[in-house]
Amino acid sequence: MTHGAGEQANSLLGSLSHRLRSGGGRRSFPYVLLAPTVAIMLVVVLYPLIYNFVLAFKNMSMYHFHDARFVGLRNFAQIFRETELYLVFGKTIIWTAVNVFFHVTLGVAIAVVLNGRIYGSGIFRALLILPWAIPQYISALTWKGMFNHEYGAVNLILSKVFHLAPIPWFSDATWAFIAPIITNVWLGFPFMMIVALGGLQSIPHELYEAAELDGAGALGKLRNVTLPLLKPILAPAIVLGTVWTFNNMNVIWLVTGGGLPADKTHILVTYIYKAAFTYYRYSYAAAFSVIVFFLLLGFTFLFMKYFKVSEAAFE
Amino acid sequence: MRKAKLLLHVVCAAAVLLGALGGCGRKDEGIAIWEQMDPEEQKLLQARIAAFERAHPGVAVTTLHFETEQLQTQFQTAALAGGGPCLVFGPSDKVGPYSVMKLIRPLDELFGEEFFSLFVEGSLDTLNGHIYAIPDQVGNHLALVYNRKFVKTPPTSTDEFISIAKQNTVDENGDGITDRYGLVFNAVEPFWLVPFLGGFGGWVMDEDHAPTLDTPAMVKALRFVSDLRAKHRVLPKECDYQQAETLFKEGKAAMMINGPWSWGGYISAGIDVGLAPLPRMSETGLWPTPMVSSKGYSVNVNCPREKLELVKELLDFLTSPENQMVTMRRLRMLPARKAIADSLTPGSDLFLDNSLIQLKHGRRMPVVPEMRAIWDSMRPSYQNVLNQEMIPEEAARTMQKTALERIARMKE
Repeated sequence: MTHGAGEQANSLLGSLSHRLRSGGGRRSFPYVLLAPTVAIMLVVVLYPLIYNFVLAFKNMSMYHFHDARFVGLRNFAQIFRETELYLVFGKTIIWTAVNVFFHVTLGVAIAVVLNGRIYGSGIFRALLILPWAIPQYISALTWKGMFNHEYGAVNLILSKVFHLAPIPWFSDATWAFIAPIITNVWLGFPFMMIVALGGLQSIPHELYEAAELDGAGALGKLRNVTLPLLKPILAPAIVLGTVWTFNNMNVIWLVTGGGLPADKTHILVTYIYKAAFTYYRYSYAAAFSVIVFFLLLGFTFLFMKYFKVSEAAFE
Repeated sequence: MRKAKLLLHVVCAAAVLLGALGGCGRKDEGIAIWEQMDPEEQKLLQARIAAFERAHPGVAVTTLHFETEQLQTQFQTAALAGGGPCLVFGPSDKVGPYSVMKLIRPLDELFGEEFFSLFVEGSLDTLNGHIYAIPDQVGNHLALVYNRKFVKTPPTSTDEFISIAKQNTVDENGDGITDRYGLVFNAVEPFWLVPFLGGFGGWVMDEDHAPTLDTPAMVKALRFVSDLRAKHRVLPKECDYQQAETLFKEGKAAMMINGPWSWGGYISAGIDVGLAPLPRMSETGLWPTPMVSSKGYSVNVNCPREKLELVKELLDFLTSPENQMVTMRRLRMLPARKAIADSLTPGSDLFLDNSLIQLKHGRRMPVVPEMRAIWDSMRPSYQNVLNQEMIPEEAARTMQKTALERIARMKE
């Protein structure tokens, strides 16, 4: 370091140190600590997002890989003209709604049971959280094997135990869509269970006693005490769960082998992935991503507003 | 003291940031290879890399394995961003998209005519007058693999083929579950349909690279494969690559249609395996025509210039006659080097003889980018026919229409 540079560094540190001693330093110090995170977020989140938006208005594809030019709203117009968008969007809504519904109902129901006085609840809790702890990749492929038409556990149980005809899990479009939903319900309910359990344990017992004095039964307590007090905790988890499920590509992609049968089991994210990396339609896929981004943004905004998620439990 | 504390804070914050970004600008001293090889091929590659590193102290060659589709995705993403490995290994059909996207380097820039003349004619992936891959094997051709325990003499016609398959589709204990299938193959990918398409006199594209999918030959080929499952019931109701491979390796399938990348694995699994050309089509008298291609190494356009000499040396070594001889002996893959191919004498190895016969029945896989659109257009309709959700005529029409649309979109 040269003498001049050393002086400059000393002067900079001196100035920072002075600001720290005064109130300004205390205010700015958190920003210094936040700076690395902010820098990383700018690089890994904001930059790709802006790049994606720019790409959506270009014509980048296999033949225009290095010479992509701006084509205005052409990609968006094409997407809205195609029937594929509406079909895939419909499937995505079904996929998300069914999954989140079962995640929440199963999660809350099991949490309520575990929150009561049952023998060995710790063991049950550990067992029930297992699906969440196992890597998605392994779970999805294991389930895929279990759905095998002839040798899979599911069809063997159906035929040997219940004497039912085996289900064509991957050659029938409806069953092929149900298979990843079952897998994802199994994978996703422990998260809601843990969130709900945390919420249940924070509800003061006196409130239940008061409800009992007011003559509330089990259902009354659930409706008037448990659910309203769980809402502030569950609502953000539902928003998160919805966004995650909407964008969850791993499970459906792995279980259906990338859209089997005949590309009939795509949701928006798998459809976009295929458009970009199989068909080399980068700008088209980017435009599709922008649409999905605004759909999710709109949903989150409306959900937060409607359910007043930011309200505290006891307000 | 305060200054020191503040300095410590700033240093800590910088360290976190630098730690996170660490490696971004690190200079890479080695050569990376991304491949989609089967486990047996990977073992040979590792042994070769170890030998190369011993001969070149200080040079590190690393490999990263992907499934074929994943390799394509990962490589194009990495190369797009200006990175990726120096070498990428795979079958010929990667060459079309990669070269159009300018992700791989024309190899005539690196090697001279003399080097290329050492390879079997037609084994070099050439597009628009440039060579884009150095092959370590030729073929990649589907053939009939059979378990000698169940099939003593391989079929020579498709009538015999169906008959043997029927005899070997059995429910041994009468529990309603088929214990052994006569035939298994990947009934999801149209690559396995193509031999029969050729057997009925059709092909996937014409000389101008326009799709030729809506033809009577395609309709017949689709019906033939669909009948194997629906009418003759010799093929499992749902059968992708993994299931086919598992059933054959476990001795639960008498015959399998698969390519040279898998044959070594069956021998290692202890199956008494035989190889035969796909049987002549009884209806037309034509031989099925599996797609023939090479598998080889391409050089990433982002590979630094200063590494190219070493890359050349590595390529020469990995595809050397000596190494291809080992691959041929161990994995029963046909060599791309003339010196080894010319030394093959008929009768010395029945397995290789049959592979060679099958190779000669095959047709060269087009390396143009249009091939990708054709595969992706064939796949859904082919699956629909096998699942009895579409008749072959409608499937052929849909394939053609979709292929034309996809090719047009690719060029938009």
